[in-house]
Amino acid sequence: MIELVRETYRYRELIWALALKELKIRYKRSVLGFLWALLNPALLMLVMTLVFSTLLRFPIPHYAIFLLSVLLPWTFFSQSLAYAVESIVGNGDLLKKVRISKLVFPMAAIVSNLINLGLSLIPLAVLVLLMRHPFYWTWLYLPVPLLALTIFTMGMSFFFAVANVYYRDVAHILQIVLSAWFYVTPIIYSLDFIPPNHQWIFKLNPIIYVINGFRLAVYYGMLPKAPSIIASFVCAFLSLFIGFSIFRKNQNAFVFYI
Amino acid sequence: MDSDLTPIRLENITQRFRVIQERPDTLRELLSKFLRHESHFHDFDAVKNVSFEVPKGQMLGLIGRNGSGKSTLLKIIAGVYEPTAGKVDVKGSLAPLIELGTGFHHDLTGRENILLNGLLMGYSKRQMQEREERIITFAEIGDFIDAPVKQYSSGMYMRLAFSVATEVDPDILLIDEILAVGDAPFQQKCFERMQSFRQAGKTIMFVSHSMEQVARLCDRVILIDQGSIMADGAPEEVIAAYESSVTPEVVGAD
Repeated sequence: MIELVRETYRYRELIWALALKELKIRYKRSVLGFLWALLNPALLMLVMTLVFSTLLRFPIPHYAIFLLSVLLPWTFFSQSLAYAVESIVGNGDLLKKVRISKLVFPMAAIVSNLINLGLSLIPLAVLVLLMRHPFYWTWLYLPVPLLALTIFTMGMSFFFAVANVYYRDVAHILQIVLSAWFYVTPIIYSLDFIPPNHQWIFKLNPIIYVINGFRLAVYYGMLPKAPSIIASFVCAFLSLFIGFSIFRKNQNAFVFYI
Repeated sequence: MDSDLTPIRLENITQRFRVIQERPDTLRELLSKFLRHESHFHDFDAVKNVSFEVPKGQMLGLIGRNGSGKSTLLKIIAGVYEPTAGKVDVKGSLAPLIELGTGFHHDLTGRENILLNGLLMGYSKRQMQEREERIITFAEIGDFIDAPVKQYSSGMYMRLAFSVATEVDPDILLIDEILAVGDAPFQQKCFERMQSFRQAGKTIMFVSHSMEQVARLCDRVILIDQGSIMADGAPEEVIAAYESSVTPEVVGAD
């Protein structure tokens, strides 16, 4: 763990440069360039709002905000994983030629998506104002679930990046896992929709606690209760511990499998 | 005391690779193989029990046929491979010039690639900014430096890559077949740069198939065949040994 902090700090410039490269390439040659990082979530919100205010009416006021308050963090999570799973294999050429810290690649995937998430909060704030949803002071609490989510995402990213080195099937499996995971997580719905005697099953989902923090802060203007916050960090560190241990143990062998 | 300062020391290095045989197996073959516990791979030692030292300031040439293990050795010294057995001891900062242009991204500009490549090689942003102008000047890229490298001619691309890789100040240089870059005047510049590294007392390992370059530049030459050292000594002798070993058919036909 100390090694992770030390290497991340040591290679911070490289991680940052790789993350920016990722974003630059994504928006390169598009007329609007970086604006797409803002426009993308904004247009998604527009669609969501239209769909859920006209076609599908949930008995939830300001449903778009209810949804986006957790959909945006979820997108960060799933996109980071989608990038990270390919990050070692995709940089195989490089790993075979220069001695280089391996963890910079999954880390760069996370940082670039973190930047995207940060940018997408701007249109969310605009939407909150436009829909005249109260702008709660609890927005200030967001860095806490964001930290837990980032740590959780790091652990999962390390794990899947390693697994994909040995079995390329992993990248495909991950897509299926992520889409199933999306539906078993209360993102488009609320945990309250689930009959109380079944709720415990949903509570086994490790990402539910951190996701809950985002929704409470942005939509309800509340803070999560202490056990929920503790649970979110326990899950996050457990994920990081397992993911990074596996990554560390295998990183010197990557070059023989890519 | 003195030997503690030896920049490169290899002791009994062996590098084993697992070679996977991807034959077009039918399902039935696959099943019968599985039942008979037959494996789809065999182990291959690219480097076998190799030991040598390179003293400070020496320019060592590595020669041998394709697939003899020269590049594998360089990569072990560069830290890309962790050897299966043996001990590698490298003292001082190291610049591996192995396959130029790796890590260049086609959509990034020359300038952006200089920074990214430098960071990948382990330099800081500040160090790269200090070197940027010198790199651009040496590469003779001109105004193209702010264009994406995919618009470069292959000569420009290689010149930039060479310039980024060599505009550094390491103690040890590992060079793998890169002096064939660009046109004749640029090759001359590359050659001069190698000479200046040599004069500055850098320790250099140089892999090449050009016996003329090896003879001109190196103080000592090691001949490798099938992962083992066949000869180690003065350039003329080792090159002669190599040339006689690769041309027996010609001699025999005589």
